[in-house]
Amino acid sequence: MSLRRFILKRLLSIVPILFGVSVITFGLVHLTPGDPISQMTAMNPHMTAADEAQMRSRYGLDGPVWEQYLTWMGNVLTGDFGEVISSGQDVSSVILARLPETIVLGLFGWVFGLVIAIPTGIYAAVNKDQFADTVSRFVALSGISIPNFWLGLMLILIGALWLEIWTVLPPSRLPLYHPQMLFYLILPGITIGTAAAASIMRVMRTSMAEELNKEYVTAARAKGLPERQVILKHVLRNSLISVVTLAATLTASIVAGSVVVEVVFNWPGLGREFIEAINQREINLIMAITLFTGVFIVLANLLADILYAVLDPRIRYE
Amino acid sequence: MVQDHKQSSIDIDRRRLLQGAGGVSIAAVAGCLGGDDGDDDAPIHVQLEVNSDNDDRVQMVDLIATSLEESGYFTTEIDTYEFNDYTQRVMDPEYAENGYVPCIGLSGTFNPESFCQALHHSDNIGQCCNLNGISDADLDQMLDDARYGVDVADDDEERRERYDEIWEYLAEERYSSITHFDLQAGVMNTNVHGFRQNPFTESTFEYGLYAPQDEVVTWIDEDAHPDETDLSDLEEGGTLRGGLTEDPELFDPPYTTGANSTIVQVLIFEQLVVSDSEGNLYPWLAEDYELVETQDVDRADYEEYMIEVDADEEGVLDTDEQIVVTHPEDNPIEDDTVRVLTPEQAGDAVDDGTFGMQFQYELHEGIEFTNGEELTAEHVVATAERYENSDLEAQTYDSLLYAEEVDEYTVNLYAQIPDAEAERELPGLYIHSLEQAELEGGELDPGADNDPIGTGPYELSDYSEGQYIEYTKNDGYWLEEIGLESKEWFDGPEDFPNGPVIDELEFEIVPDDSSRAGALQSDEIDITYGLATGVLDDFEEDDDYVIDSVEAGGYEYIQYPMNVEPWDDERLRRAVNHLVPRQEIVDNVLNGWARPAWTDLPELAEENGTTDADALEENIRPHNEYDPEAAAELIEEVIDDYDLD
Repeated sequence: MSLRRFILKRLLSIVPILFGVSVITFGLVHLTPGDPISQMTAMNPHMTAADEAQMRSRYGLDGPVWEQYLTWMGNVLTGDFGEVISSGQDVSSVILARLPETIVLGLFGWVFGLVIAIPTGIYAAVNKDQFADTVSRFVALSGISIPNFWLGLMLILIGALWLEIWTVLPPSRLPLYHPQMLFYLILPGITIGTAAAASIMRVMRTSMAEELNKEYVTAARAKGLPERQVILKHVLRNSLISVVTLAATLTASIVAGSVVVEVVFNWPGLGREFIEAINQREINLIMAITLFTGVFIVLANLLADILYAVLDPRIRYE
Repeated sequence: MVQDHKQSSIDIDRRRLLQGAGGVSIAAVAGCLGGDDGDDDAPIHVQLEVNSDNDDRVQMVDLIATSLEESGYFTTEIDTYEFNDYTQRVMDPEYAENGYVPCIGLSGTFNPESFCQALHHSDNIGQCCNLNGISDADLDQMLDDARYGVDVADDDEERRERYDEIWEYLAEERYSSITHFDLQAGVMNTNVHGFRQNPFTESTFEYGLYAPQDEVVTWIDEDAHPDETDLSDLEEGGTLRGGLTEDPELFDPPYTTGANSTIVQVLIFEQLVVSDSEGNLYPWLAEDYELVETQDVDRADYEEYMIEVDADEEGVLDTDEQIVVTHPEDNPIEDDTVRVLTPEQAGDAVDDGTFGMQFQYELHEGIEFTNGEELTAEHVVATAERYENSDLEAQTYDSLLYAEEVDEYTVNLYAQIPDAEAERELPGLYIHSLEQAELEGGELDPGADNDPIGTGPYELSDYSEGQYIEYTKNDGYWLEEIGLESKEWFDGPEDFPNGPVIDELEFEIVPDDSSRAGALQSDEIDITYGLATGVLDDFEEDDDYVIDSVEAGGYEYIQYPMNVEPWDDERLRRAVNHLVPRQEIVDNVLNGWARPAWTDLPELAEENGTTDADALEENIRPHNEYDPEAAAELIEEVIDDYDLD
């Protein structure tokens, strides 16, 4: 099968995947008790059951679940993701407003992860089983194990409250694309990028260590090539394949990975919106964000597969 | 002891195994009673329930459970649920049959009813918040008589006496145990001077910035400590930077229900009256108001004006009109058609002289909205119409019958029946400009390109959803124009300002508590509220911060399953109430940031809720004291009578 056909096939498979995601999410949200109306009325002694039913019918939240799903699906197919019940805003416009914030933050974290992980991984592999390697492995394990909300809080405590270099709240009046924002991206970016950096670093180290044991490396060394050239020109290229595919898979976290971090850093992105949407049981918003994230994850995986094939011509998708 | 649901079930099984075959147990629907003839085993099992997402509440229930177990008479189990799951569970009318003891929190108001009616009136079974199906006809009558009827609508003292009787009745019957009343705390740095926290979150800034009824005005002064200044040091101008807990849903008053929305609206919109911190009312947009007439009218007296509308199985009525009154004999869920009064027929009834109460408001002349319109009676009527079929219809039409323009500056508001709360409830409308009174629901919002237009002291100048809200002072604020001396009731200092003195307000939206506390510490905001009690302690110990706290309307209670044996015996309920460690809950769970509920009435509702607060406490407190010995005596009697041992 040619790569082109493979890509086409994978793109087509997005349709049933998203359909499945939408059915499951819609079902789950409706299985969880409460909807935006019960949020508005829950602790209000003035509200009788009939009042609540009246309100639900006014907002079109009555009727059986399958009927609500079909209506929703019909609207989505025409590009209408519905409204946020409590504020009347268009769901698409909410997502478009919040998305750049999330992508910029996620991208920063992703780049941070790569920049830290690749050199560290190389260094650890070259110095395998020595002190530096042990330290880097310990740091990587910690990076994976530390919950990112805790890391975020610690960074705020140290960076903003003790050292007073950053602010606790990002400057809300500065446009996202203002150069100064790069500075304020550092702490949340580190928080998001740490776990990614740790896993990439581990893959980098392992695959490089593996390559270093291969015969062509011995041959290159025997030929008298300087060690630097052996590592950077030959070994690095070959060991990057798995790192690149992992990094491509991790692009999914640019959209999906920042939920908790956005809350801790008061970052007005999609993740914070998602948490609020869940708390308020804003079904349309939950559905749209979930679907959007789903598309992004599928595309990130597709990208990883394609890169894998491009980087290693021996791989064929049958 | 706190467990999730799954663990709890396993726990029951283990306990049953331990009880052995010789155990004697009473059959109860909940399956919650058990015991055996061994001396160490407790005869009564209590299943407490609570929502898991409120740490304080969970800890509080844990303390109650520990106290019950320590008495030796109870085994306990705590089931926790996610909030939505929980509210749906406990508000199911069938819930009362389980025999569980739920814990929940409610927000009360200046109306004493909010501390007894919602919990105990049979009208509130299956809704908020008579969770255990308390149905006591005598109590229902007492609750109704304390609010409705000519006697109490015209006579505050009579009303207070009736509430005193209710508190005594409840102390004997003890269907529920209110544990404590919350405190509201505003936390600020020392730049903020004069600020006073309001009992209600939604009024935090409206009241704190300027409330001449309590001589409250806030100013900014970076050079002195608030402890060293008083009103004579007041400085005008400056910017107050606040931290809000949530983004407002909308700036549209009748289409929002949360405090996070109201808190930002009330700087722009005003009402006909204002309230001081004790709940006393003062004319505000109105120069004066009076109760013109009270009539002995019942809701059924509107029968001849009512129309019939169809109702579906869920109680949804087939009409687009606002339902002002539903015939008391009809039920939208049970009946196919119901008789209802709509605003048009309410107007007819008023024309014919059928109404419960008539209040007449004389508006100040010359009050301008920020779009230049002058406030007239037409604005009040148009506003009432915009509240029709809104998200606030249930609250609004709880009391309101009809709004009627008398002349340009005079408006009548009518109550459906004689109602002691009408004076407070009727003028609860946030008055709209005519330009915005016709807007569709939810359209009065910057998101729909309609910046809110009001008569209030501030104008919205910038808003970025989820990020910040900015206000500037309304240059043509009406009170600045006509002066406080136009308010006959004002007896404060002559040089008291005629409006808030701070020029700009900048509110950051920071849902996360620790981020808000951090922003205050790093001087990114000057003031915030809604912080956890543990954090409040840290700020209180620090001289660079000031906390102003006030007893608020929020309270927590557990409710006994009086429809299930042996809880139908008031002695058991009173006994358990004696084992509720109120002081310990306040000291250990809330770090002292609350007040034990020695009576069911908090300070803020004392004005209308008792003839003598001290006497009430003296009288009721012994019933609510932690007293294991009294509890043991009562339980022994119950055990004998029910043969539980």
